[in-house]
Amino acid sequence: MLNYIWAGLIIFSLVFALAADVRDLSADTYRNGATLPVEITFQSGYDASQRRVPVTVGLSETTFRDFYGVTHAVDTVFSGTLIQTSDGRQLRFAEDAALPEPLATIRSVTSRRDNDLRGPVVGFAPPAVGSRAVTAGVTFDRVRFVKLNSISAAALDFAETAVTLALGLIGALALWMGLLKIAEESGMLHSIVRFTQPVVLKLFPEIPRDHPALGMIVLNLSANMLGLGNAATPLGLKAMEELQSLNPTEDTATNSMVMLLALNTASVQLVPPVILVAIMGLQINQLMIAIIIVTFCSGVTAVIMAKLFGRFKRYRETDPANASKVLEG
Amino acid sequence: METFRNLIDLVSVFVLPAIIVGFPLYGLIKKVPVYEVFVDGAKEGFNVAVMIIPYLVAILFSIGMFRASGALDFLIDGLRPIVGAIGIPAEVIPMGIIRPLTGSGSAAIVLDMINQYGEDSIFVKMAATMFGSTETTFYVIAVYFGAVNIRKTRHALPVGLIADFVAFLLAVFVIRLLFG
Repeated sequence: MLNYIWAGLIIFSLVFALAADVRDLSADTYRNGATLPVEITFQSGYDASQRRVPVTVGLSETTFRDFYGVTHAVDTVFSGTLIQTSDGRQLRFAEDAALPEPLATIRSVTSRRDNDLRGPVVGFAPPAVGSRAVTAGVTFDRVRFVKLNSISAAALDFAETAVTLALGLIGALALWMGLLKIAEESGMLHSIVRFTQPVVLKLFPEIPRDHPALGMIVLNLSANMLGLGNAATPLGLKAMEELQSLNPTEDTATNSMVMLLALNTASVQLVPPVILVAIMGLQINQLMIAIIIVTFCSGVTAVIMAKLFGRFKRYRETDPANASKVLEG
Repeated sequence: METFRNLIDLVSVFVLPAIIVGFPLYGLIKKVPVYEVFVDGAKEGFNVAVMIIPYLVAILFSIGMFRASGALDFLIDGLRPIVGAIGIPAEVIPMGIIRPLTGSGSAAIVLDMINQYGEDSIFVKMAATMFGSTETTFYVIAVYFGAVNIRKTRHALPVGLIADFVAFLLAVFVIRLLFG
């Protein structure tokens, strides 16, 4: 299933990106090469010899909407700079200005580094004496294949994020794996196993009695319930390692692993995640009861589903426990 | 509810120091060479983190691409009429779809909804409940199976997604019951 979903995500990304880009091309969403009429106002007067002249750029809402064929409300005044060189004049919108679409997209594609939308000015004539404003036109660089570029950028970005995330776990992983090793060697884990296995074995019937995996699972689930996310992951990974040591195959999940995953993805927790508390503030107190009801029910569902799916023919056939029996028989 | 929460919070505060101090202390009493054993175990931390990188890259980049392409928005729009028919408000659909895919994305959605609908809105309550009551299924699968090199995940994904879906439906109905 993961194979299909994964491939589906990638293929659909390409299909949708292509469709969006073709639509943009055929509708000429970005009006490539066309000239957008603007009103340039010189607050402190116009000086032809000055290289950088501070200006305000005015857009007429109706002209803008007609020009780009959009209907949303548009801010009409922006600050900017007029750059004058012997090659001509260039208008630059202020860095990070709150531009309306599609200008914001044009900026993100054409001025990735400085984030200031810019383009050559055409039809410029110095303002008449006593006037501070002139009308002129500005053209922007061609914008094509926005989505195609952005899916490649996203793929690279997220690949980097994945590495950062994984490496960020090293500290917590090392700490917990060290502590767990002590718990193992000192016999503490064994006591946890003996104390809790009557319950845990019901969910994980394939694990032999007194196996350390049972203790790791208990620790992982308790950490989850108490909202100790930093501790829960290392404990869960340690539990997975123990389960893997019982796995007759190398690359196929056992029923116990799926059950552990089910309990973790449904994440039965009595303490809401830190980030949610930060976002919701005091409101979280009202939501606690709802969260506990929902998390409990989805946890029960996950357990039932894990057991139920385990009985389906296609998952019975792939069960590593059965595979080993076949080999032995 | 508030006293219950305070109690749990208090327990969570004490559990960590109790374990971090308690495990080595118990080991010392049992005459375990605690420092050596700790270092021995901690060595594994690095390997595990490196082991999960390929799995995490595979999952995260595909989800990132899917969002960037606009396909996710299309999916959300397409689902609006269908889930509307079973009484789920369209406002919370983005949360339902993104919750199993990305944790940071779902947090961003809650924030966005607060800006859009206000903190007291019932939609924000629903979304926050969904956020708080489930985990990022794809991330958990990548990390947990990645750590032990399991590539054939069998029914783990369908089970996780069904549990997410149940949480999504329940969040809507429980919040309606309590605040609606």
